[in-house]
Amino acid sequence: MARPRSSPPSSAPVPAEAESAESRFENAALFEFSTVINSSLELPFILSHILLTIMGKILSTRGMVAMAHANGKFTVEMVKGFPQTLRGKSVKIGTVTRTAFEIAALDPRRHAWVKFFREEGVTLVLPLVIAEKTIGVLGFGGRIAKRKLTAREVTYLRSLANISATAIEKAHTINELQRVNRQLDQKIQDLNTLFETGKEFSALLDPERQIRLLELSLLGRFLPTRYLISLRDGPDMKIVASKISGQMPQGELLATLARISAPVRVADIVVTGTVDVREALIGLGMTVVVPIRLQGESRGQILLGEKMSREEFSQTDLEFLSSIGNLAIISLENARLFKEAIEKQKLEDELLIAREIQKGLLPSVLPEIPGFRMSAANISSRQVGGDYYDVLVLPDGRFIIAIGDVSGKGPPAALLMANLQATIRALVPLDLGLSGLTGRVNDLMCENTGGNKFVTFFWGTIDPRTKTLTYVNAGHNYPYLLHDDGSFARLDRGGMILGVMKTAAPYEEAAVLCRGGDTLVLFTDGVSEAMSTRQEEYGEERLEGVLRDAMSGTAQEILDAIHRDVLVHTQGAPQSDDITMMVLKIL
Amino acid sequence: MSEFKIGQREVENVNILELKGYLDAHTAPKLEEAFQNLLKSQRFRIVVNCRDLSYISSAGLGVFMAFIEDVRNGKGDIKLTNMSPKVYNVFDLLGFPLLYEIFKDEQEAVTRFFDRAK
Repeated sequence: MARPRSSPPSSAPVPAEAESAESRFENAALFEFSTVINSSLELPFILSHILLTIMGKILSTRGMVAMAHANGKFTVEMVKGFPQTLRGKSVKIGTVTRTAFEIAALDPRRHAWVKFFREEGVTLVLPLVIAEKTIGVLGFGGRIAKRKLTAREVTYLRSLANISATAIEKAHTINELQRVNRQLDQKIQDLNTLFETGKEFSALLDPERQIRLLELSLLGRFLPTRYLISLRDGPDMKIVASKISGQMPQGELLATLARISAPVRVADIVVTGTVDVREALIGLGMTVVVPIRLQGESRGQILLGEKMSREEFSQTDLEFLSSIGNLAIISLENARLFKEAIEKQKLEDELLIAREIQKGLLPSVLPEIPGFRMSAANISSRQVGGDYYDVLVLPDGRFIIAIGDVSGKGPPAALLMANLQATIRALVPLDLGLSGLTGRVNDLMCENTGGNKFVTFFWGTIDPRTKTLTYVNAGHNYPYLLHDDGSFARLDRGGMILGVMKTAAPYEEAAVLCRGGDTLVLFTDGVSEAMSTRQEEYGEERLEGVLRDAMSGTAQEILDAIHRDVLVHTQGAPQSDDITMMVLKIL
Repeated sequence: MSEFKIGQREVENVNILELKGYLDAHTAPKLEEAFQNLLKSQRFRIVVNCRDLSYISSAGLGVFMAFIEDVRNGKGDIKLTNMSPKVYNVFDLLGFPLLYEIFKDEQEAVTRFFDRAK
């Protein structure tokens, strides 16, 4: 080991017993020093004790300690007597000898760092070396005795430095171990939380409880001073949980936030759009933004303010937030789909019931009309619809046949259809004549629909004695009166469709005489407008063709022939509308 | 399924909640309910005895956070006592000692309410 040139051996000889007494004293002091600094793992305490001990020993009024970093720089961590501004300053120090040396003896041209110490007023440097590695340096200045250190003093200082280095390294290692341990504990805690909340999230089907669980988990994990959770609700973001000061963020800000696609600290947000998100978030007291995403789509955000501990949000924190947010959204989505499925099932059940009720409104058995053979059918599409047909027997031996189609589909149409039937049945006994009755039905339907729905309607009175059909057609597909020679008449007289406006002019009434062999065909647009897979309508021309081919058959045969041909046309396409037909064969 | 129970007592007008078992995402609502009931009847001096608490998760810790402000606004406090080292570690890990007074012993916590009052 090289002797430092700066500390020549002391020239004055020391008496032997004095030397051994001093030596005993030094050993005891070293022992006590070692005991004290090894009794603690608190670095500030250890450093402070080292500085004070050495300052006392060499009668110096100033001391500092700089610790080495991985980049070869030494940063001042504690000062005593030196100005506090020295703390935190860094200097790059090359190789140093492991013994104490005086700065005055070093050439700043050879060692750049010497200049730094000189300028700060450090006159003596004592490296802290452990296993050939300099972990730090102690620096002293303002020594009261201006003389150089004796060899004995240097040796003693080296002993102190060695003990110090070991104690510092030990504290460092243990602190680092504790830090890593804590980090590990934190990770385990995070994993536990994710595992457990994930399990609970999926067990809950109530969105409110799921959101509360997310809120509690965030509160417990981060102790945030402020927070806000927003979730997509249709096109907008909706705040579902929050603790913020000031005004709640509004639509535009929330929409801009939704464009943030990865977790980010507010300080790192780059403002691009018109809304200064960063400013707004700082105003809200928020520190991090974590998007909640599902299938590449923004479904919400978690915003957190500073932690009460004032610790910064680490990358691990952001990852945890991302994970728990995504877990929550998957469960929320599942709960939503589940609820939707249940509601859909309920709705379908209700529609099924509605369809049954509606079927029940149609005549289950057709009355026998003397001289006529009648068949009727209502083939409903999947939904409840608004088609209607009816046959009523009048006390004077006449019959009423009626067919109608309420605009639209689903429950509203079905309701109106039921309403139409009730109206007709209530009004028919009034002796108003078909035209007058139609006017009254129209007025009542107008009141009931409020003008936003309408009904095409055809009805007629059959007198079996005279085989006369007296009818009114209120905007319904013209029925056919088919003669046995293949010619036909269309029953087109009447007036406006029902339910649009109150009756202004009376409905026109017309009468036709039915002859033996004639066929009366009433239908709804479910027949004439039946769609093929190529979006082609069935059409009346094709209907007329079938009628001519089938007209020699019975009423039921004619009806079946039409239905079959419609099915051939629509093959494969779902039935879009109710199909209703009445066929009367005159004997 | 995890088991969690809350016992309630009163000592010198301080409400003691005794937690037993696993306080996690599943059982957290029970503790929420207990706090809600105390707040409803304006009882703000609360000591939570964790002697028989074997596990606490972030959601469980969140419950304490969710109520502490209301409790303190009511001039009361939630104080925690008798934690096992394992449970304390979790509280400590997440920074709770900064915000909550944690005592070794329930009586210490109860007395503390009256120290303040004086």
